[in-house]
Amino acid sequence: MLSRRSFLAMPLALSGAALAEACVGTTGGDLLTFEAFARGPANQTPGAPLTFTSGRGFAVTLTRAKLHVGAVYLNRSRPTSVSSETQCTLAGIYVAEVAGPIDVDVLDPTLQPFSVKGFATTDFAPTGELWLSGGDVNDERDSTVILDLAGTASKDGVDYPFEAALTIGQNRLPAVDDPALPGSKPICKERVVTPIPTSITPSTGGRLVLHVDPAGWFGNVDFTRLEKVGDVYRFHDASDDQPSTNLFHGLRASAGVYSFEWQPKIGGAS
Amino acid sequence: MREAPFRGRTSHARSAVAALSFVVASSAVLPALAQPEPAAPPPAAPPPAAPPPAAPPPDAAPDSAPTGATAAPDASASPPIEPAPLDVSVKERREPPSRGASDIPIQVGQLRVVPRKSASSFLTMAPGFFLTNEGGVGHAERIYLRGFDAREGQDVELSLDGVPLNESGNYHGNGIADTGFIIPELVDSVRVTEGPFDPRQGNYAVAGSANYHLGLAQRGLTAKTSYGNFNTARLLFLWGPGDTSNGTFAGAELFTTDGYGQNRDAKRASGMAQYEGAIGDRGSFRILATGYGSQYHQAGPLREDDVKSGKKGFYDTYDTRQGGSSSRFGLSGDVQIKAADVLWSQQVYLSRSTFGLRENLTGFLLDTQEPQQKPHGQRGDLYDLDNRFVTFGAKGSGRISGTVLGQKQELELGYSVRGDHVDALRQRLLDGTNVPYAKDADFSSNLGDFGLFADAQVKPVRWLSFRGGLRGDAFTYDVRNNCAVRTVSRPDPQNPPGDASCLDQQRFGTHREPDQHNTTASVKLMPRGSIIVGPFAGFSFSASAGLGVRSVDPSYVAQDVATPFASVTAFDGGVTFLHAFSSVNVEARSIFFGTHVDRDQIFSETEGRAIIGGGTTRSGWSGSTRLTGDFFDTLTSVTLVQSRFDDTGLLVPYVPDVVVRSDSALFHELPLPTVLNSHFKGSAGLGVNFIGKRALPYGQRSDTIFTLDGQLGVSWKWLTFEMDMQNILGTQYRQAEYNYVSDFKSQPAPTLVAARHFVAGAPRTVLFSLSGNIGGS
Repeated sequence: MLSRRSFLAMPLALSGAALAEACVGTTGGDLLTFEAFARGPANQTPGAPLTFTSGRGFAVTLTRAKLHVGAVYLNRSRPTSVSSETQCTLAGIYVAEVAGPIDVDVLDPTLQPFSVKGFATTDFAPTGELWLSGGDVNDERDSTVILDLAGTASKDGVDYPFEAALTIGQNRLPAVDDPALPGSKPICKERVVTPIPTSITPSTGGRLVLHVDPAGWFGNVDFTRLEKVGDVYRFHDASDDQPSTNLFHGLRASAGVYSFEWQPKIGGAS
Repeated sequence: MREAPFRGRTSHARSAVAALSFVVASSAVLPALAQPEPAAPPPAAPPPAAPPPAAPPPDAAPDSAPTGATAAPDASASPPIEPAPLDVSVKERREPPSRGASDIPIQVGQLRVVPRKSASSFLTMAPGFFLTNEGGVGHAERIYLRGFDAREGQDVELSLDGVPLNESGNYHGNGIADTGFIIPELVDSVRVTEGPFDPRQGNYAVAGSANYHLGLAQRGLTAKTSYGNFNTARLLFLWGPGDTSNGTFAGAELFTTDGYGQNRDAKRASGMAQYEGAIGDRGSFRILATGYGSQYHQAGPLREDDVKSGKKGFYDTYDTRQGGSSSRFGLSGDVQIKAADVLWSQQVYLSRSTFGLRENLTGFLLDTQEPQQKPHGQRGDLYDLDNRFVTFGAKGSGRISGTVLGQKQELELGYSVRGDHVDALRQRLLDGTNVPYAKDADFSSNLGDFGLFADAQVKPVRWLSFRGGLRGDAFTYDVRNNCAVRTVSRPDPQNPPGDASCLDQQRFGTHREPDQHNTTASVKLMPRGSIIVGPFAGFSFSASAGLGVRSVDPSYVAQDVATPFASVTAFDGGVTFLHAFSSVNVEARSIFFGTHVDRDQIFSETEGRAIIGGGTTRSGWSGSTRLTGDFFDTLTSVTLVQSRFDDTGLLVPYVPDVVVRSDSALFHELPLPTVLNSHFKGSAGLGVNFIGKRALPYGQRSDTIFTLDGQLGVSWKWLTFEMDMQNILGTQYRQAEYNYVSDFKSQPAPTLVAARHFVAGAPRTVLFSLSGNIGGS
């Protein structure tokens, strides 16, 4: 037979155990802020032109290469062939964001900070996105220069000094094939570079680095077909000739141009 | 001094006779129910001045406790202090037998002086309840109970003297219960059953149930006017005919406030009237009419990063169009009568209500571009929800009792039927306007809920009772989805659907009507039972187990597919201690509990409504103590709980794992000279809230909440002056915190990663009240 003291002691002991149990546990994961940077090719000499050979055999020397990035995102999903064709965003859960712009000097291999800090969860992200917009990704009137280039391409002893200033607005709106589907090709799809393969799990104290390799922009550009305006060959800010079209396609290439790196500890990278 | 319920009191026989005449005359209006009024019973001695009685032990009243659940004090303990009152009105109503330690009768009593914002606040007098009101005054409170995020009532069956309050088919959350129409001064008691252990508990009794019982102890005419900061004003009139029972009353209130911070103004009006009459000496009947309307604005959640950066103030809003409105007009009647050994109860109710809500939880995130639409950007996520309900129902039972083995045995058979017609329309409004640009949902539903139950009490010996039985519920759904087709992959080029939300064509432009009709039905059987042992020296032990159910909202219904309702399995074990010492009544309980839900409901900020999630399991402990004496009344409860998802073992977000609540009241004559031969009486109330750090998604924890609410009052003769102060410490706290995705354009580019949001709790508020009573006892 339990005594009255036992009656009282037992609930007290059990409640103590319940208290210890109640205050532990987690819903899983974490939220964190991080610094984000962008940089040109790591082997590039600061302040020097960047030289490479394009896929069509042109020796390209870039003397100016500025890329305006509106934002970058990492996502937990892998896009498939049935992914939405009209949504600016992926259906999956976004793992990380740097929701502010940066004008990247692609000829500079040093880390260039984004204008805002990034924010992330600690989920694994296999997909990255680059938003090439000056503001609202849906604004067709946005005239922000996304890519500003100058340099020289050489082939067969002929030099092609060139310049480019590309925007993504009404000049990039694809024609709508079906009048019943006027929203089938929104401008945002022209501005979002995705899916960029990544393998990143953000962690506290780390930082995100966007690597830009401009060689990929020129992979299929035939400089001989550029129109010469004055002393230079100028890319049209429209998709109306082969080199301009292919430079724009290169700008939006999801493979071979852009890559994301997560550096777990700050201080090690240059 | 607490009065025994349902007992009108008068100091002389003439008043008693007049009261009887009134009751009889009123009863004559209902000839089918009225019975010849017997001679007045012998006068009963009044209860002693103090202490007020404690709640009964689980089996203190084998024939069940009277409504209000207070054990009658021993009249012989003290001599009468006034001429004997006369039992002038109605027979005491019988409540169902207790289900053990988790069956908690709450008598408001002197704890009424603790400031409360609404009738829902009385729920916090039961252990484990924690309320927030993120929607603002006029919006139903969000209820947390023993590890459940019951939202606005989806997991708690709420009723008003048996009339169900949960709104079936509410698109915001199936089962939302808005108690805003209940005038707090008219709440006499609340019976809280934590867990589904009583076969009478019906739909939505997942975490438990609470039944409000109305009564007006202060008889006569009472007028109360209040004014406080934020331009808050309230006018309250109460009527309680002196020669009728506490169950006969009327009350009406008007309320207006500008609210704190931005966009929290509110207006509401409510009226309630009830007549309780006798049916001879065998029973009683009640007729209750209610009317209510409210209109309010709400601030909505803010992103923590925007507040930290100074883009938004702590009490600001993103969208001043947020808010809502609601109304409810109801009529109900019930009768309880004893014939031979059977106690019969019948009740019918009818209500017409509306629920409107405009919320923008995500900013500019959800406006998807469909191919058939013209190209558009994000046009704003503010949704405008319009729910309209017509509810009709009846319930009844017959309880037979007899003596076997020298003990009273009981069997009760009961039923409930409820029908709801619900129209639910939700649209999205263009940013900065009230122009709808898209339709999210448009349902017209006829919902049925049919319940049967059998409940028995088997008592082989004095100290052992088995109580329980079986409940069965059938849910029927007849749903017309008026917007069944929202996208088409290959529309007719000659007849493009354009931006319309509800389409009338399918693939390749083939015509179809935009609506779809679905019907289905499901049946659930739920055994429930309790074992109660004792009392031994004031201690009673109980163990209970049972199954509960929550129906889903009509949007989940598909033709002939079984309704995916949620089932809960619950058990608990507890001990109750009740004892009346010489000057103090003690009531204490300790309960260990566990529940499992197969399909839990999780609120999705993106969806703007509760959605069906996975299985969850909860385990925990709660304890409470109430001490009542000559000049004080104090109630303290502590609840510790863990809620975890079955598949991952991770915590269920948002539910608090530590809840501490304390209500205390002091009341006494003040040591002041008498004026006109009347003493000044003083009262003081204090409410203490402590909520531990709540688990948030992504491994986060919220801040703790610690608030103090107080009241000081002084009364003289028929005048009472009160000062209510809520959040005495002036703490700037977050009543709700969430982690989810939103984009309020606070960054140059869209914010697409889950971030911390919060809803600000109320700052210090002070309300001064002056009331007068004429004709009261």
